[in-house]
This record gives sequence, structure tokens and C-alpha cells, in this order.
Amino acid sequence: MLQTRDINQVELQICTRCIYDERVPSIHFEAEGVCNYCRQVESLIEQYGTGQPKGEALFAGILEDIRRAGHGKRYDCIVGVSGGTDSSYLAHLSKEWGLRPLAVHYDNTWNSAIATMNIHRVLRGLDVDLYTHVVANKEADDIFRAFFLSGVAEIEAATDLGYAYLLRKVAAKYSIKHVLEGHSFVEEGITPLGRNYFDGRYIQAIHQQFGRGRIDTYPLMTFSRFLKSALLGQVKFIRPLWYLKYSKEEAKAYLAEKFDWRYYGGHHLENRMTAFYHSVYLPQKFGSDMRNNTLAARVRNGTLSRARAWAEYNTPPLIEEELVSLFKKRLDLSDEQYENVMHAPPKNWTDYPTYKKRFERLRPLFHMLAKANLVPMSFYLKYCFPAEAPA
Amino acid sequence: MTILRTRIIPALLLRNQSLVKTVRFSQFTYVGDPCNTVRIFNELEVDELLFLDITATRDGRTPNLKVLADIANECFMPLGYGGGISSLDHAKSVFDIGFEKVAINSCALENPVLISTIAQQYGSQALIVSIDVKTSFWGKQTVRSIGGRRNGRHGYDPVTWAKEVEQRGAGEILLTSIDREGTWAGFDLELVKCVTDAVSIPVVAHGGAGSVEHIGQVVKLAHASAVALGSMVVFQKKGMGVLVSFPDSRNLEEVLA
Amino acid sequence: MISIVNYGMGNLGSMLIMFKRIGVKARIESDPELLRSSEKLVLPGVGAFDAAMHRIGNVPGLREVLEYKALTERVPVLGVCLGMQLLTRSSEEGELPGLGWIPGSTTRFPRQDGLKVPHMGWNVAQPCTLSPLTAYVGVEPRYYFVHSYCVHVNDPAHSLMRTHYGLDFDSAIGRENIFGVQFHPEKSHRFGMQILKNFAAL
Repeated sequence: MLQTRDINQVELQICTRCIYDERVPSIHFEAEGVCNYCRQVESLIEQYGTGQPKGEALFAGILEDIRRAGHGKRYDCIVGVSGGTDSSYLAHLSKEWGLRPLAVHYDNTWNSAIATMNIHRVLRGLDVDLYTHVVANKEADDIFRAFFLSGVAEIEAATDLGYAYLLRKVAAKYSIKHVLEGHSFVEEGITPLGRNYFDGRYIQAIHQQFGRGRIDTYPLMTFSRFLKSALLGQVKFIRPLWYLKYSKEEAKAYLAEKFDWRYYGGHHLENRMTAFYHSVYLPQKFGSDMRNNTLAARVRNGTLSRARAWAEYNTPPLIEEELVSLFKKRLDLSDEQYENVMHAPPKNWTDYPTYKKRFERLRPLFHMLAKANLVPMSFYLKYCFPAEAPA
Repeated sequence: MTILRTRIIPALLLRNQSLVKTVRFSQFTYVGDPCNTVRIFNELEVDELLFLDITATRDGRTPNLKVLADIANECFMPLGYGGGISSLDHAKSVFDIGFEKVAINSCALENPVLISTIAQQYGSQALIVSIDVKTSFWGKQTVRSIGGRRNGRHGYDPVTWAKEVEQRGAGEILLTSIDREGTWAGFDLELVKCVTDAVSIPVVAHGGAGSVEHIGQVVKLAHASAVALGSMVVFQKKGMGVLVSFPDSRNLEEVLA
Repeated sequence: MISIVNYGMGNLGSMLIMFKRIGVKARIESDPELLRSSEKLVLPGVGAFDAAMHRIGNVPGLREVLEYKALTERVPVLGVCLGMQLLTRSSEEGELPGLGWIPGSTTRFPRQDGLKVPHMGWNVAQPCTLSPLTAYVGVEPRYYFVHSYCVHVNDPAHSLMRTHYGLDFDSAIGRENIFGVQFHPEKSHRFGMQILKNFAAL
């Protein structure tokens, strides 16, 4: 729900350091009115030495590991690419670091033309090979539709999980031990778990209940596949931008100039399903607007003022014309069905079977795996602790 | 002598409402959603698109008009469709949706009169006859039908059949080398040249393109009027992942100059 | 509202979709009475000259309305492909006279060695006379052509764009409120969109 754009007039409690307000799931305000998410970012910066000599040294060590582990192999690391800023820039950096990356892309058949062209131009310019997994369009749509009808927020759960599993599978296929991910908590923040849950059991359950077809081409990561990959695959997930200085604006400028890369007007809008999710579905059905993640991060790192970030957050998002009609058409939803779902009370991931409890019970194991980079640290932080259900 | 810009046409294979790609007409790989892919080609401003459903006649299916209508709604360039067209009515329904051209293959072999029937009603320029050629075990090149599985009429040789389809009113020939399809190994230049030498209607070479150099070769050496690209527009590189793209216009200009 | 005249020949859907894409209100209309209230008309056409003139003549009231709109009320009219050829006085393809709204004739492409007919494919149409129809088309604009007959207008001032294929012919023509394009703007990407935008802005 949009508030007044003037941060001084708002009646909600807002973090004094960033712009997360009291509506953010699992938020609490500590000393000086600073929120726990800001503290979390501070602690990560401390831990990883982001943008400082400590971080650079840590990362230099990791680079050594990558080179050593990749010796004699065709590729020494994987870079997940989406056509977006971070992953495109990371592909460039990986070449700068003298690595031999294999780019990996998960195609759920909703990519925008800009994303595809960006991937093409950047990888061609860098001479990097690409591995893609394309989910059959009808199957991808069936899963999306099932999530939409189920009433939960995580319509992109299958994409997120499929992508995560794909990275592991390709690593196994080419005996690659390191996956580089372009996430930057300094530029993006850590997404509160809230309504952003995904795991294999959750996807299976929703598809079983609301889907119409079979799962054939969709890479489903069940718990056992996850654990097996983490323990036996020995693939490390590295986020270079957690260690190094990174400016998204500079990255965009560089990519545009060097590769004729284009910006698509909003975080994650390179894919139409993601665009629907962020600009229509979440705000309209769940009153949730995740633009605050990136905006808050930019306030924390000093590239945007708090007042302007708040104003932007409370401006209606840009929606591509015909996005909704495309959504309905592809998912075979009548106007009535669509409206019914959009107006029905939201359901939550806690209403459906998931592995959450199992993740919590196995916290010590995942802590160890996260410290060894065998599962992402962000996974450990979000999934292995009890989470509040959102309001 | 006036020659138009050589047309470079992405040939996209449709199967059950998905886009796929094959190697030698088998080994199907998912490529994506037809409409989403078309949007990308729109942005890339390609000259023309051709959609082929190579298993339609084999599976006894007729054109899926809903998918075709969705595709036509997205395109601002000429469109052609082939697959399961066995009657004037089928052709009509495809034209009515907004396609400029139809391609017929197995049904033309089965019933050559269909060629003149469609040409007379809609004009030759609206009719492509698609000829699939495969080299048999004994080294002989013959026309195949039903998605490459059967020998066409009397084990026809491509040149004889090409001349007959021209005579019956076809506006263009889409000549596909099944052996080269999906291999990135280059066109079968001899095959293409035999056919282009024998007919005066445009011949679109299809099957085997792996680089812009191949495109240059088949146009300059084998005299193809146009080139259809398959793997080159849907994969990043040979053996690598799906990525929709189109050769750079500057590179094309260089090889076609 | 722009009306795309439906007299039974031509691919009207694609034209409508392009107008929609550029944000211009248009509709397909076959009823002469409803055509009467249109602000602008598009006359499409794919097929044979005589067949088209025949059909136009056969729909009661259609010819009258078209002439009224074009010559009396003088609303902007755009003939596309065969529709442009119909604007001339006659065609070698047929026996019937054309609408004759722009003096000129339609003739077959000459038999020339190596010249494949129909002219099918992308070719450049060079603006040769200043006109609102060809504003902002840029340098060497190209369009999709598919035709076996081409137009030559009597008065050079009526020739708006010229194209070379075996010979030079008029690829776009215009006289006061009446315009014609030989190519298919609805199949010519942004080049075609510019032409339709210009027409819509008249």
C-alpha cells in the first residue's frame, strides 16, 4: 500500500538508517531506531570485509582455489546469467580475473527480448560459452498457473529453485567446483524470508494440487537431491560482490559501452513473469512491494538519499502495457478466474507442505555447509531459523 | 541484373505448441515459447520468419490455428507456415490468420495437384514447396516425405521434383538437406546448386548453416536466393545452450557482398 | 477512427494489429454506411486487379462511398499494395478500369534476364517528393514488397517514393488527400510503423 511520498509525514515506524518500515516481515528496531536488517548488513560487511583489503584478500584466496580446482578442466567456474546487470558484470569480471567460466542460464520461456540480446552480446563480446536449460513452455506455464491458483505469493518459486538446481547439475556435469553468483547485499540487501519461500516439497505439493500436466523438463530439487549435491558434489557457491567493491551504476555504464548492453528499466524486469510478480502480483494482491530491498540497500551504501528512496518506493511501479493480458493468455485464465484469484485472501507457504521444519532441525549441519560455502550463506540465514508468518 | 538483398530467414520448428530444434530431424530439444521467441525476432528486425511443424503430417495433425494466430499477432514481418497443410481450406485458414505464405511438403508429393490449386487461388508468391532430401545408404540423394521417414514418390530425385513443382506453380522452393540439418557443418552446396540451376523460381537453402561464411558460400557458390537458419538462430554455439539470436548484419553484408 | 476497408481481399488483421501497436484507433469495416463516418480510410488488397475492382463494384453502395470520401469529403485515403494499384486508371493485369484517382497506370515488370517476378522481398524505397506521408523515414528505408505489377504515375509530383527493381517504379504515390504504398507497411517493422504513424497524423 502506497504511503505519502514525504518521509517526514509518514505514520509508520521507519528504520533511521534505511527505509524498511514496520511492515517488513521479521523486522525489529534496535538502538537508535536502526533495523535488524541494517545490522545484518553491517555484520556481513564486517565478516566478508566488503570493499576493503580484508575482503580483497579473502577473495584472492578464493580465486586461487578456483584456479587450482579448475586446473586441466575445460571450465573452472560457472557464472549464472540472466541478462541483468549483476550477472552480466560478473561474467566480465570472471574473465578479468583470468578464469574460464561457463555461463549458465535457466530459461522459463518468459524472457524479454532485452534479456536475451544482453546475454548474447555480453557473452559474445567476452567469448564465453553458454549452457541453457529450457523448460517446456507448457510445463513452465502449468507450474506458474498452479502457484497462481493456490493463492500464495511465491509464483516464481519454481524458477528460483530450478535455477539453483540447474547450477548444481551443470557443475556436476562438467566437474566444476565453483559457482559464482552476482548477488550483492550492498546493492540489493538481504530479502527477508516473509513471502519469498521456495523448496522442492513446496513446489511439488502445489503442482500436485493445482497443476494439470506432468513435470518432465522442470528440474525439481528435492531435499535428497539438494543434500546429495551439497555433500557429495562439493560445489562451492561464491558471491564475489560480497567481498569486493561494486557499484551497480558503474557496472551498467561499463556494460552498455563495451557490449551495447541495455537496461530494462527496473530490477529483475528482464523476465516478464518476474515483472508481473514484482509490479502487479505482489503489490496488488499482497500489498507487498519488494522495491524497498534495492532502495534500502542504496540508502545504506550512500548512493541514494533516504527521502528520495522513500518517495520512489511510494510511487506506483511502471507496468508494461499488456503484461496482464499476456499473463492471462499464456496461463489460460479467463478474466473472471484472474480477478477471483487476485481478490481472494492471500495464502501463505505455511499453509502447504514444505521442508522448513527439516531445515530448522538440521541447522547445525547447514551452518557447517554454509561456512564451507557448500550452500549459500543466505540460504542458511533465511531457512534454518524459525520465521514469522507475514501479517 | 537486379538482385534483392538475400533473405536470411529463421526457420523455427513447432511441435505441440512449443518451439523445438532437431538434428537430422530427430533428437528434439526444447527451445522455448513460440510467441516469446517471436518477440525477440521482432526486436531483432529479421526480414521474415518461417514456422514448420515437421511432425504434423506424420502424426496426422492439421495446423494448430490458435498457436499460429498468437504468433501472427506478434509479428511485423512476413510469415510463412508449413506442416499438415493438405487442402485449399487448410491453406486458407492459415492465410486468414495473417500469414503471407504456406509451405507444403508431404501432401504435395502425395497429391501434386494441390500445388496448382493453391497457387491459382492465392498466387505463386504465397506458396512454398518444401523439399526434404536425404542421402540413402547407397549414396543416392532422394526426396523424403513424412518428416523424413519415407521415400517420396517413386524415390524421386530432387531436381526432377523441383522442376515439376515449379511447373505446377510453386513460387519458391525450400530445399532442406536432412543429412546436414542441425549439424553446423555447412550446406550441401552441390545439392543446392543442382536445384538452383534447374529452376528459375527462388530456392531457399536450409540445413547445415553453422556460420556466416556458410551463408556466403551457399549464396555465392550455389546460387541460393535465400537462406533459412535453424540451429544458428536458436543456439549460442554448436553444442552449447539455447539462446535466440540472429547473425550480425555487418557480418552478413561482408559475406554477401 | 481509421477504417480498413474490407471488400473481401487482403490481409486486414495484420494492418489492424500494427495500428494497435502504434496506439492508433482503427477498425475493419465492410459496411458502406459505416464507412461513411470514418475519418480516414485504408484500402488494402492482395490478389488480382480485376477481382478487386469487381468486388468493389459488386458491394452495393461501396464504390459510391469510397468516391464520396476520397473525392468530395477528401478524407485521407491510403491504398496498400494492390490497393495502391487500384488508385490508378488501369492495369495490364486486368481489363477493368481502376478507380483513377491518381493519373497513372499499372504495368507488369519487364521480362529481363535474372529478374525474378514477383518482386518479393525487402527493398529500399527512396523518398523523392516532400510529403507528410514520408516524414522521418530515415536514410534508405526498406520495406517488404510482394507484387508482379508496378505503378507509374503520369505526374512526377505524384510520385512520393521510388524503388528500383529491374527498372525504377513508384513505390509510394500521393495526390492531395489520396496516398498509396506498393509495399506492405504492416509487414515492414519500424519502417512500416513510421508510414502508418504519418498517415494517422494527417
